[in-house]
Amino acid sequence: MKQVQTTCVYCGAGCQILMNVDEETNKIIDAEPADGRTNQGRLCLKGHYGWDFLNDPQILTKRLRKPMIRKGGKGSPLEEVEWDEAIAFTARRLTEIKDTYGPDSILGTGSARGAGNEANYIMQKFMRACVGTNNVDHCARI
Amino acid sequence: MGVPEIEDAKVLMIFGYNGADSHPIVARRILRAKQKGAKIICVDPRVTETARVSHIHMQLKGGSNMALVNAMAHVILEEGLCDRDFIARHTIGFEELESFLNPYTAEYGEKISHVPADTIREAARLYAKGEPSMILYGMGVCQFSQAVDVVKGLANLALMTGNFGKPGCGIGPVRGQNNVQGACDMGALPNSYPGYQNVNVPEIREKFEKAWGVPLSDKIGIPMTHVPDRVLKEKDPEKQIHAYYVFGEDPAQSDPDLAEVREALDKVDFLVVQDIFMNKTATYADVILPATSWGEHGGVYTCCDRGFQRFRKFIEPEGDLKDDWEIISLISTAMGYPMHYENTEEIWDEVIDLCPSFTGATYEKLEKYNGIQWPCRSKDMEDKGTPYLHKDGKFAHPDGKGRFFCADWRPPKELENDKYPMVLSTVREVGHYSSRTMTGNCRTLRNLEDEPGWAQMNMEDCEKLGVKEGELVKVLSKRGYCMTRCLPTERVGEGTLFMTYQWWIGACNNLTTSFLDPVSNTPEYKYCACRVEKIEDQDWAEKHIRDEYEEIRSQMGIQSAKKEGEGR
Repeated sequence: MKQVQTTCVYCGAGCQILMNVDEETNKIIDAEPADGRTNQGRLCLKGHYGWDFLNDPQILTKRLRKPMIRKGGKGSPLEEVEWDEAIAFTARRLTEIKDTYGPDSILGTGSARGAGNEANYIMQKFMRACVGTNNVDHCARI
Repeated sequence: MGVPEIEDAKVLMIFGYNGADSHPIVARRILRAKQKGAKIICVDPRVTETARVSHIHMQLKGGSNMALVNAMAHVILEEGLCDRDFIARHTIGFEELESFLNPYTAEYGEKISHVPADTIREAARLYAKGEPSMILYGMGVCQFSQAVDVVKGLANLALMTGNFGKPGCGIGPVRGQNNVQGACDMGALPNSYPGYQNVNVPEIREKFEKAWGVPLSDKIGIPMTHVPDRVLKEKDPEKQIHAYYVFGEDPAQSDPDLAEVREALDKVDFLVVQDIFMNKTATYADVILPATSWGEHGGVYTCCDRGFQRFRKFIEPEGDLKDDWEIISLISTAMGYPMHYENTEEIWDEVIDLCPSFTGATYEKLEKYNGIQWPCRSKDMEDKGTPYLHKDGKFAHPDGKGRFFCADWRPPKELENDKYPMVLSTVREVGHYSSRTMTGNCRTLRNLEDEPGWAQMNMEDCEKLGVKEGELVKVLSKRGYCMTRCLPTERVGEGTLFMTYQWWIGACNNLTTSFLDPVSNTPEYKYCACRVEKIEDQDWAEKHIRDEYEEIRSQMGIQSAKKEGEGR
């Protein structure tokens, strides 16, 4: 068993959690509070029980495991593809739209949730430096 | 201020912020403050848990925040409770505020907010005399079409009473999602690069052009709340949105006026969704890019008090997943702008070197000190960050002085009327998070609350309508409707309705309006006109809910949805 300290993924309180993980089965055993600056050894119910989605219990929605694209355009079904194809498809369509309507016709979002600061930095850098627009925003308002 | 400082305030004014549901661990500090002798003022249209422990509860009418704040400022001025010394040394614009406030008496405040004038006076006195006094605010301030004005109005109260620049005071927005502060810090905003450096300041733009090696646009971008209009209504081809890259969000659940959002997602030429779970928005996607989740990758989050903290990988991802930053880098490279990073620390080093306020927050220090509150300007190990801002009354303006601000009250955009006589306000659920793809997939949390959620209604309204607790009702606005359960409660006023926004069937965002605050572009989630209808055939309604739930879950890829549904 290993124990890893991390920051809770729910709400802005920034509680520190210790995750107990069975390395052999790659499963979480439980979560316990760590002595963080903001939480001082306490957790709320989401901190204690909010990690179960990582087991993909398929109660509400299914975890995404493989890239998918609509090969036949709008209205066609989503089909699983390899990463190379998904990346090439996305890059080609975004480039076509940029060339046809200009960079300001594309808007990308950051994420205020699990992704983290580095991923948000990369997203806004992509929108600004590669696409060429300041049309980048995120769900700060909800 | 920092979260731990909440305990040290002598007076806490909790304004439009329901900590017990939104941030239980922050709410605990409010109780601790009270145990240590602090007086609590709660400003909320509902009898929240904070209201229950407060010394003064101003149960205002929704949409009257500015009127109440101006009336409090008037009392402080009229009764000579200002900190004249602080005002003279650290602020600009007080004379204008003095004359502006003239008409805004406590009686005026009572007329608009329905809080008795004497209660407004009592609260203003208590706040002004606290040493120190702190204000915490939340979405009950921000989610109105008049929002930024009210934040500035709260800052007026703190400026005029000298409640800035020392421990245990100030005004604190308690940010909702875990990394909303971080997404802002990193420049996922249409007007600023990382570190709140504006895109339209030439010297700053040049710095980023040099670092990134390409010319950059000086035109401020558009906020995502404008997307439906830019897809559906914009006639000028130059201003239309044709591609939408949605990363780690679910606007088809969380944005207002969902009928309009769905239409826009259907119409936009190209929709990319990068996420961990199938969700409402992903059902419209042309491409779905599966990312690793919290737990499967690491990095830095910023919590609500500017605290950078490491989060770490603790399990191995299963499936064909990539980290978010890697996916975006690959697309960028394929589009002709190569981005290559070995790990998040390499990205973070690039971030902090471009942002003077973050420069000192290295991974080394984040590990060693268990986090850093920015600003942290020096890499020297002695710079451990900044627990509270505006130290010694020095503000961020170039002259170091705080600004007073004058704003008249404006009513909400869609008022109650004959057809829709009630007011809907959307709120949060303690056991669920945002659009609930995470918490709804946690067995323990899902068991606490499930579809279709509840509409909190005043007992009298329920009686008039003839509906009982748990009964399914239909809630309608000009824009749409949804079905939910009635929860009669004394905690909410007559004519008001409160619903949480993560339900698919009880989707209150089918009802909400897309009117925005002109500065922050935040929708008026806290106010729209609606009405409630009784459903006579409850058996039909219960079956409808079950069928609908199964149908949506099967759209989300749950194979057993039908079978499980039959057994319930």
